[in-house]
Amino acid sequence: MTVLLPLLLPALAAVVALSLRGRPTAALRAATLLLGLTVLGALAAAAAGGGVSWTWGSGLELHLRAEGFARVMAVLVPLIAAPVMAYIDSGEGPADAGRTRLVVSICGFVAAMELLVLAGDLLTLLIGWELVGALSWALIGFEWREEERPRSAAIAFLTTRFGDLGLYLAAAAALAGAGSLEFEALSTLDGIYLHVVLAGILVAAAAKSAQLPFSPWLYAAMAGPTPVSALLHSATLVAAAAFLLIRLVALGADVGWFGPTVAGLGATTLVAGGLAACVQTDAKRVLAASTCSQYGLMFLAVGLGATAAAGAHLVAHAFFKSLLFLGAGVAIHAAGTRELAGMRLGAALPTTAVQFAIGALSLAAVPLTGGGVTKELIVASALETSPPLGWMILASGLVTGAYAFRLTVLAFGPGSRRDVRRPGPGELVSLGLLAFLSLAMAALQLPVAHGVRLRLLGSAPEAAAWELVVSLLVLLVAAGSIAALQRRGALVSLALPSRTQRVVGEWFGLGSLARLALVRPVLTVGRRLALIDDRVVDAGVRAAAAAGRALSKILGGFGERAADGLVAGATALTTGLAFSSKKAGDHVVDGVVEGIAETTWAGGSRSRRLQSGMTHHYYVIAGVGLLAMLGVSVLWR
Amino acid sequence: MLTLAIFAPLAGAMVLFLIPERRPMLIRGVALGISLVPIVFQVATSTEFDATGGFELVESAAWIPTLGVAYIVGVDGISLPLAAMTALVFVASIAYPVDLRGRPREYYALFLFLECASLGVFLALDLFLFYVFWDVSLVGMYFLIGGWGHGDSARRAGLKFFLYTLAGSLAMLLAILGLYLSMEPNTFDMAAIIDAQPLGATGILPVLVFTGFALAFVVKAPLVPFHTWLPPAHVEAPAPASAILAGVLLKMGTYGFVRILLQMLPEAFQRFALPLAVLALVSILYGALVSLAQGHMKRRIAYTSVNHMGYTVLGVAAAAAALSGVERARALALTGAVVEMVAHGLITGALFLVSGSVWRRAETYEIEDFGGLAGRAPFLMFLTAIAAFASLGLPGLAGFVAEFQIFVGTFGVFPWIAGLGLLGILITAALFLQMLQRMFLGARPQRWDQWEPLSRTEAWALSTLLAFVVLIGVAPSWLLEVIHATSTAIVGP
Repeated sequence: MTVLLPLLLPALAAVVALSLRGRPTAALRAATLLLGLTVLGALAAAAAGGGVSWTWGSGLELHLRAEGFARVMAVLVPLIAAPVMAYIDSGEGPADAGRTRLVVSICGFVAAMELLVLAGDLLTLLIGWELVGALSWALIGFEWREEERPRSAAIAFLTTRFGDLGLYLAAAAALAGAGSLEFEALSTLDGIYLHVVLAGILVAAAAKSAQLPFSPWLYAAMAGPTPVSALLHSATLVAAAAFLLIRLVALGADVGWFGPTVAGLGATTLVAGGLAACVQTDAKRVLAASTCSQYGLMFLAVGLGATAAAGAHLVAHAFFKSLLFLGAGVAIHAAGTRELAGMRLGAALPTTAVQFAIGALSLAAVPLTGGGVTKELIVASALETSPPLGWMILASGLVTGAYAFRLTVLAFGPGSRRDVRRPGPGELVSLGLLAFLSLAMAALQLPVAHGVRLRLLGSAPEAAAWELVVSLLVLLVAAGSIAALQRRGALVSLALPSRTQRVVGEWFGLGSLARLALVRPVLTVGRRLALIDDRVVDAGVRAAAAAGRALSKILGGFGERAADGLVAGATALTTGLAFSSKKAGDHVVDGVVEGIAETTWAGGSRSRRLQSGMTHHYYVIAGVGLLAMLGVSVLWR
Repeated sequence: MLTLAIFAPLAGAMVLFLIPERRPMLIRGVALGISLVPIVFQVATSTEFDATGGFELVESAAWIPTLGVAYIVGVDGISLPLAAMTALVFVASIAYPVDLRGRPREYYALFLFLECASLGVFLALDLFLFYVFWDVSLVGMYFLIGGWGHGDSARRAGLKFFLYTLAGSLAMLLAILGLYLSMEPNTFDMAAIIDAQPLGATGILPVLVFTGFALAFVVKAPLVPFHTWLPPAHVEAPAPASAILAGVLLKMGTYGFVRILLQMLPEAFQRFALPLAVLALVSILYGALVSLAQGHMKRRIAYTSVNHMGYTVLGVAAAAAALSGVERARALALTGAVVEMVAHGLITGALFLVSGSVWRRAETYEIEDFGGLAGRAPFLMFLTAIAAFASLGLPGLAGFVAEFQIFVGTFGVFPWIAGLGLLGILITAALFLQMLQRMFLGARPQRWDQWEPLSRTEAWALSTLLAFVVLIGVAPSWLLEVIHATSTAIVGP
């Protein structure tokens, strides 16, 4: 039952925060404390292992299992969420009632993420997966009064939901092929069902972790408050995809296309995201593009079979990316803008600058930082299985290093600004904790930690000394070029044509392309269909009614005109034979409808009399029906 | 018990006329009390219900024995949840405040009359009785739209609804007679027909009978292209009547698909399963796309009904395609379809009631007229968001329970159709998010600065419906157990 702890504690936090909504600060602190306890609960669950299951219905069961990489992930989620929550206490963010809404949503979000992480079957996974997506809508659109933010939230939700459809397909194929949705049973899959399951998982993962071509939604997600971005990008929403691939990678072991596709997708996004991050001038977007790029690296590792290394890098990335986002939040709050051109806050915010630099070094994968160690693990594995890709990863350090250094210099380089808002205790402590964790990850490299590493991540090849040297050289080149640009005063513009900078920074126009090629056509088709629906589909019905009216004129002649019209109209409707021009149809149908309406409503509005009138029609129709039926049965005997 | 549940509202409708017309609140109170009676009886009934899969708690009486007509009512795992949902949606709709046009007695009497007819359709086990309830329900709804609708066009819309669905009933009447004549001895007893399966798949008669029923049901459900009566009817109807129309009356069509086509004519249905599944797919995508283009709140919700009834029929069609070896998938699809009926009744009922609250405050349904209402009406936003997310199939809410099973089940039978149909839940997500965003988020036009908060009645009525949406979504096993027993029995082990 301990496996329920990581799930129930954040849910409890949400309830407690909600019940304290009159006192935002108390709500926040209670939630922070409970999220801290969730870390302990998750540790207990990870240590105890095991699982629970219960009946969902229709012969399907839900399973929660603390096993494999899920145990690491279950601890990681609250480990990031707790400092993020502490950051809100003194940092940027809304005051008062709105803050409680933020706190409650984050706690709910953490609970949903834990459900996703601990899922032992595709149904539970899908439930958590979609809940995480929907709550991210609420979080990104948090400041709903500004028109643009809810729209961005919708873009984020709809893009990731497109990916979710892949999981629906995967679940359907799993049930059809293996007769069960449990992860363990999936290994019995083969043939087309296995391909569908893998393809579905891949689409879902690519959309959620903003791999190409889904990347632009992460920019939209920047509409959320900075702490939300810190959480979404590090251990939750976006991380869910890499987590899923790591968790289920064994499925694809014997499927030829799976590994190369995942690796290819990752490699492409690694480079494209890195380039976009290099040229962006918006602090949060640099980090967003960097997130795509870093998950690209993890995809690449998974595709090459370096699952353990990918898992380790996921953890390291969670620490340094949340650190960087929170640090950027402090800078944005101080500078009053997200534009890098107006920052350079190093002199004003020395502590934050140091903390941020630690995150940036880890991101750049400088040896002896968390990110450095885990990236070396990936390189070592890659060099073993596919040397060209291994070299490519080494070379990509140039791009990663370049944007990490550029961001640090622009945001926290020495500048003239002094009189800015300083971070409060909550911000200092949470940044400090995440900086510590970013560095502490490097301890994985110590010989002492070998056993831990083996248990948590499985076996992974060690990096050779020459690889470290190459990495360092690459980073030196990156640092040198940033220094050169800095001397030329071109660090923001990069001496690029502004159009190039914009296009590359905006994902090579992918977002506009999606709008142009996908969103707009769908909306247009909807509008066209709506017009057709009004004018054409219904016109058939109206024409039939008109035909009925004409028929009734022929049949009528004594007294029962209205009733006959009704009968003939109804009969004609079912045959739907006649068509006439729309104008004539409109004219006639208005006539018949109004004619009947007048007859029907004549004599007052009281229902009883009308009802008897209808009963009369009803009998006529029943009579006609009987006759027709008799005719049919005579004819076919 | 079931008989009392059906006819208590009818008796109550007459009681209303004893109350003076100038006391509308008392009339509403009494009507609300009466509408609770069927729920009480159904709860009492369900304690005796065993979920054996077949018909239970059958009550019967002779009616016209010479013609083989009898009064028979009973429930199985499909009709019990539907009847319970019906009673619940009626309670919420009757409680909902509305412009009574000075005729409170007639309004509430019609509602109770309609409740009797609706419960009758789901509980009747004699085809003749079924038909009588079916047609009588048309009459009730016709007068609600015509008499309490929004404008002059209300009568036209009501009449269009009446004529169109009556044409469907006519086809159904012929089909019923076809079934009746093929039974030896002639009888309308539904259980007997289900046992005997009098019509095979060969010859022209099964095809004609099947077509007759199918026509009535696709008009009623409605599926594209037989849906054009629906939007005008919804636009003109008073909101509680819309809630009943979408929540309850549409289900009669899909219920007919299961009870009559699937259970009485399985062999004929098998031949038509694929075309019907394609029609359902068209309804799913077409309904969602057209809905996306609607700027009128009620039309938008109305078209999502076309989309959701498409899911339901898709599930039933998958269950009807008798392929050996996929019984589990077919039962799953059928269970999903039945859950969809219940879920859609609650969810869309709630959405139309929300539209009623909006109309009462704004006298407009144009989505573009609104904005930023969340600031003035946070609770309304919260309830609308739950209903909208439930409708777009978010896990933890009732719609997902239905749609997941429909898609997963259908995939085992028609993988391509299921795969394409999935796009429907993406478009639905887009259209609901857009509606929420345009009405409740962003900047608020000044004219809504005095927006009144939800009244207690409104809040309670909506919360009750949505509480069940959440309950079914979070812990569906109690409901699925009941439905799945019958689905499995129908599809075969």
